[in-house]
Amino acid sequence: MTGEPAFLDETIHQSTRLRIMTMLVSLPETDRLTYGFIQETLGLTGGNLTTHLRKLEEAEYLTVAKDSHNSRPRTWVQATPAGRQAYTVYLANLVKTLSWVPND
Amino acid sequence: MQRQNDEALTAQEGWRTIVATMESTRGSLYVVGSAAILVLWGVIASIGYLSQYATETLAADFVSRNPWINAPLWGILVVVGMVGSALIGHRAGGENAAGDAIRSAGLRVFLFWLAVVAAAFLVPAAAGMWGEDAGANIPRVAIGIIALGYVLFGIMNRPVIAVVGAGIAAAFYIPSYLLGDVALVVSAAATLTVAVLGAVWIRRSGVL
Repeated sequence: MTGEPAFLDETIHQSTRLRIMTMLVSLPETDRLTYGFIQETLGLTGGNLTTHLRKLEEAEYLTVAKDSHNSRPRTWVQATPAGRQAYTVYLANLVKTLSWVPND
Repeated sequence: MQRQNDEALTAQEGWRTIVATMESTRGSLYVVGSAAILVLWGVIASIGYLSQYATETLAADFVSRNPWINAPLWGILVVVGMVGSALIGHRAGGENAAGDAIRSAGLRVFLFWLAVVAAAFLVPAAAGMWGEDAGANIPRVAIGIIALGYVLFGIMNRPVIAVVGAGIAAAFYIPSYLLGDVALVVSAAATLTVAVLGAVWIRRSGVL
């Protein structure tokens, strides 16, 4: 492929945020994960995860909701339709970028 | 291509990150609750070994005429273990994820272990071992199949679980071949130790 390189959404194209979005988008649309599950699976510190979740939440790519289970607080994270769409576009552009060859 | 200032990724790194994350997500869904389930089975196996030791010591003549007599005991223990594992897995899954993916993963894991446990009973039966001559060797085959289940499950999902499977086999086979009459007592203690240490190790590896 030649021409311009594809644009990669900077909100997603960052190591930790890409991993978070991949986790969420690889599940069915109605599925959600807990904060703890994401943290353990990705091996992140709480502060690091919170920072990146906030950025993705500000972009409206995911929602963060809290409830309690057996009197313990629990935080759920779920990809939004906008987040899934953005990830799909990101993935398509990533493939384009991987196959992009610059013009001389 | 747009780049990030922090932890900048190349496109190739982005692709590799996606593939690795999908793999680890799938693996995490499959091993949720594994540590608690391992401890449950450590306790169940230890109870089985000690009960078998007790019957073989207190009713040696009867057991020698009916070497299959421990099979019903193990059958009850296995049913308790499978029900307990299903409850622990269901609870652990619900505490960490909600939706079709975790349900599907839980069902697949349950069916995997159901097949392993069924094989532990049926393979010796198919080999004609449920009789006076070979009945005493049934545990050697059954434990081997269970340990193989752990090794295969670990290879597919988390290598630490495969190592625990090898430990479970060693906890049974080494005393069995070296320690004679007290082998089952040592195996009970060794299996419980392997299960508890394995559970701690599995938890520390990031499994919830």
